[in-house]
This record gives sequence, structure tokens and C-alpha cells, in this order.
Amino acid sequence: MARYAYEGDFEGFLCALVASLENGDGQPEFVRDSDAAEAGLFSGELCQVPAVREVTLAFRSRFVAAVSREAFATARYAFHSGKKGIEQLLWRYLLLGLEQGRLLEGMLTVEPVWSINRIARHVSHEAHKFKGFVRFREVTEGFLYASIEPEADVLPLIAPHFVGRVGDRPWMIHDLRRRQAAVFDLRSWRLVSGIELTAEPGCSDAERDYAALWQRYFRHHAITERHNPKLQQKHVPLRYRKHLVEFTGP
Amino acid sequence: MFSLPLEQRLEVLADSAKYDVSCSSSGSSRAGKAGALGSTAASGICHSWSADGRCISLLKILLTNACIYDCAYCLNRRSNDIPRAAFTPDEVVALTMNFYRRNYIEGLFLSTGVLRSADYTMEQLIAVARRLREVERFNGYIHLKLVPGADPLLVARAGRYADRLSINIELPSSRSLALLAPDKPRESVIAPMRQVSGLIVESRADRKESRKAPRFAPAGQSTQLIVGATPESDREIITLSEGLYRSLELKRVYYSAFIPVSSDNRLPALPTPPLLREHRLYQADWLLRFYGFAAHELLDEAHPNLDMRFDPKSDWALRNLQLFPVEVNRADYEVLLRVPGVGVRSARRIVQARRGTRLGEVELRKLGVVLKRARYFLTAGGRYLGGIRLDGPQLIERLLAPARRPARLDQLELFAALPDLSAVSGEL
Repeated sequence: MARYAYEGDFEGFLCALVASLENGDGQPEFVRDSDAAEAGLFSGELCQVPAVREVTLAFRSRFVAAVSREAFATARYAFHSGKKGIEQLLWRYLLLGLEQGRLLEGMLTVEPVWSINRIARHVSHEAHKFKGFVRFREVTEGFLYASIEPEADVLPLIAPHFVGRVGDRPWMIHDLRRRQAAVFDLRSWRLVSGIELTAEPGCSDAERDYAALWQRYFRHHAITERHNPKLQQKHVPLRYRKHLVEFTGP
Repeated sequence: MFSLPLEQRLEVLADSAKYDVSCSSSGSSRAGKAGALGSTAASGICHSWSADGRCISLLKILLTNACIYDCAYCLNRRSNDIPRAAFTPDEVVALTMNFYRRNYIEGLFLSTGVLRSADYTMEQLIAVARRLREVERFNGYIHLKLVPGADPLLVARAGRYADRLSINIELPSSRSLALLAPDKPRESVIAPMRQVSGLIVESRADRKESRKAPRFAPAGQSTQLIVGATPESDREIITLSEGLYRSLELKRVYYSAFIPVSSDNRLPALPTPPLLREHRLYQADWLLRFYGFAAHELLDEAHPNLDMRFDPKSDWALRNLQLFPVEVNRADYEVLLRVPGVGVRSARRIVQARRGTRLGEVELRKLGVVLKRARYFLTAGGRYLGGIRLDGPQLIERLLAPARRPARLDQLELFAALPDLSAVSGEL
């Protein structure tokens, strides 16, 4: 039983998975290389696998040919849940896919398909929510900054959406929980990790005005006769409100 | 009308616009352009939810709330004493661009009171949309309201800039319309709808020929009906909606529970808005659009109104018990859709999963099928999941049971003044 340490993202994980398949490993264990140090008492030897783009792409086309695009997307979303033990589940899921082919999609009640689908659905819902919940503010002339604290690692899933949407300004979406950010420089975006705020970001004058206007609009949008805070909380759970300007105002 | 500061005018014009319930930003799928602002997502995206639980997707405002008409149900009618305000086109453009860039909104919903004439007002709306598209290169969602009685040429121009067009019927029958909105003949609402529907079909055909053909309202058109202000039955309303969906291919009909915004003696005095009725109408509307139901199946002369106790599908199933139970492992997709408690998602999953395995109660639960109501209408592998014999009155009681169980919210007294027998027998 070997342990495979992979570089943090989904590509890295797939490379480690391919390495375990090549070794014919029957019971591999996967760890992020940042967590590799904390080895258990009975853990096997550690095998560092570098992320290689070609390996990932080759595995992707193999899996898509065997099963489907949707099933691959499901695996990717599930990976971004960042849940403990997700690698093990995914390993079983991807192997089952290669073995069963198209049948995988109908095996909705069978483990690990059931769990992977459920987790992936959860992540994709959160990713969709954050397409709406990101709040940019202008910190210096023309530069937009947004902070978020999602449960899953949705940043790589939503960044392309914002590239298409706000294409006329450089921006940064900062995931405080994972200390990483998606940064867009008007041409392309990339993921930068290890980002920490040293001070509260600034705020241009126009920013204050528009935030205040938005808060007013938000208050007046509600119809008093239909007051329903329970429904509101169902859609905007309290944990998200910290970073939503309309909920933080006076 | 421009004397108030911008923030107060925003409040006034947001207040005046909020009773229009249309909120969706879906139906249009346009990728972003490099170096420009905006894209649209087919699913639509909600950005926030206000204290009444309604989503905020578009910046919903009026250009002005001054109006020459005097429709009894409308907040902005001429005779109502409310503050009046207006935006300049520049202000609307700046608000939209800046809110959008900060990702507060998904686009603009622009409506207005009628100034001078229908044509003049329509031109004002189009001017704002044109500036957003052509000067600011705004590529996000725009929903424009059509002004009843506006020139067909203006309607055709509006659709070049907008993703969605809408014109509100408001009252389900011409009788009510004549009573409450004497300035708006029904034909002035229906004619533009018919025109828009034709133009949408035309532009869709053109775009099949050539991708360069201009789009016309790619997200279709919608309308709104007010519920509870006039005596129409649910049957009239749902039959009207069905006609609109079938012949004019509307994307949505919205229902708005009537909230008394005036003390006009032509209107009923309602203590609270009929929210449950509105909810039931939406349920019936979904059955028309996604579940293959026809209006006459849900409501007929003997049942002109929806049952407030059940959802319309359960109500239909209870009246058609001879069709049930159905076998989950064999029933067609269309039949599964008609089982109370089974939605589009569940029905699809059932069809997908049963190819590989036989479904029993456990599997159904794993698929996420909610059996609370569905169990009384299903067999799985020949076994009836309901546990009781199917007969009307008993089943109604079962289906209603959860709602009737009284919630015990007060703390139990240790020494109640009178001995409560139920506390002894355990039947709390």
C-alpha cells in the first residue's frame, strides 16, 4: 500500500491516480503534498507525483471516451468539495467508470456513484450561488476586489464566468478560507495561493456612493405585506452575509 | 420630478417598480466579449434576496412613476397621492453599469409610467437600452416593458436591444379590464404580444439561416396577471395562461397576489394578500409547462377553483384514482410525471436508474424521490408502497395528516390545574 502525494489541484490528483494505476496498486492512498508530512503510524512509503498536463489530458479523454463528459465533470466538481476522504471515493468512482463504461451513469443508487453525485451536486449548487454572491468593490481606481468564504473550493469553477462577464477591468476574487485568489489581468486569469490580507483593502469614493445606493435599493425592493425573513434566510444563509454589501450596511 | 437627490429618486422609483413580479434573467445565453462588460447565462442568476424572500436578479426600476393613466389596481395611477420622480437616461445607464460591474445585478429591468403618449414613452425606454448596448457596449441582460398602444415599429426596435420583452395583461378578463383600467383596452395589450411572438419566430428562423441575423428578444416575452383583485375563477386564469403558452409561446406568465395599494371602491378590501392562491396558481402553471397537463384536466366547471388544501397535482390524482397505483419499474416517463410528489428530476432519475437495476422503496429513497405523497400512488416491484387501500376520503385524510397534527409549542406544566387525560395516556 503506497501513499501518493499530489500537487493541490484536480490535475495533480489525476496524475497521482494515473501513477497508482500504472503501479497496479490495489489500495492506494492519496494525500495533498501540503498534508503529506502528517503520516500515520502504519502508512506506506510516500511517492511524490508531479502534475503533468499531458497525463491529465490523456486520462481525461480516456475517461470521457469510456463513460461521458458529464461523468468527468461530476468527478471534478466532487473533488472541489475538498471533503476528507474524497480522493478515495473518487478513485473508486473513476475506476468503476473505466470498468463499467456508460453504465456508470445509471448506477445512481450504487456506491460510490451515489455519494459522488450527491457531493458534486452540492458543490455545483454552491458554485452557482457564488456567481451571484461575489461582490466586487473598487479598491483603487479601476481595480476590483471581492472576498468570499465558500464551503467548497468554488474559485476555479466560477473564475471563467467572471472572465467573460467583467472583461473590462482587472479584478481579484479572494477566497479567505483557503487563502487563495483568482486574479484577472485583462488577458487571462490564474489561481494564486498563499494570499493574505495585511490590511483592510481601500475603497474609492465612487465605491462608497454606489454601495450606499445599492443598500437603499435593496431595502426598498422588499414588499412589506409579503415580509418573509425565513424564506430569505433559506436563500441567503447567514454564513454568506458577511461578504454581501447589502447585508452589512447600517 | 428631478428635484430630489438621486438616492431618494432611486427609492421612489424602486418602490414604484417592485409590484411587478417578473424577476427572471434566464433564457438568454450570450458569452462575454473581450474587453467589454456583461454576459448572460441560460439558467439566469439570482444575486440576492430581499426581506420578503423574493430574489433580486435585475435592477428593477421605473424611468418615471408619473402616469397619465388611472388604473385602479396600480400604485402609480394618476389620482394616487405619492411622490413622483424620474431618472434621466444617463442616470439609469450609470446605475446599471456600476451595479453590474460590482456583480450586484444580472441586468436591467426597465419599466415606466406613461408620459404624454404611448409612443413618446416607448421611445424613452428604447433610448436607454440603445445607449447601454451601443455606447457602453453593455452585454448583460435587459428586460424592457412594452407600453400598451405603442407603435409596432417601436415594438420591433425594442426587441433588437432587449433580451426579454413584456407587457402586462394584469386582469384576466376584458370585463375587469374595462372596469379597473378604462384607459387600457385589452386589444392594446394583446396586439403587441401577438406582434412580438411573430417577430421572435421570424428571427429564430433567420438565425438558423445565418448566424449574423440580428436577434430579437432571445429570452422571449412574459406577462403578469393580478390575482384576487377581480372575481375571475382560477379556471379562467389557468385557461388564459394555457392559451398564452400555446398560441403566443410566452416564456412565463407571472401571477401577483393582489396587495391593496389604494382604497378605490371598485377593489375588494383584502385583509392579507392571497399568497396561497398565488402559490397554487404557480403550481398549476408549472404543471402546464413541464408536466404535460392541460388546463381542462386540472379545473373544470364542477371545480372552477384550485383546492387550497392540496397541490393541484394531488388534487387531480385524487379525482382520478382509477389510474393509480403505477409501477415505478415500468411506467412511462410521462406517467411518472403525473404522480403526486414526483417531479421532473425524480422522474428522470427513476428512468435512468431502472435501466440497470430493479427499484424498490430503498432505491427510490436513495434516488431522492420524496415518498411523502408519492407512496400512495406507486407500486415498486409489485408491492404497494402506501400501506392502506386506495380509497378517496381515507387518502385525503392521510395526505392532509401532517398539516393537521397540532404543534405543541408551550411547555408542559408539571402540575396542571386540571388533570389532562391525554398526558396520562401518552397521546400528546
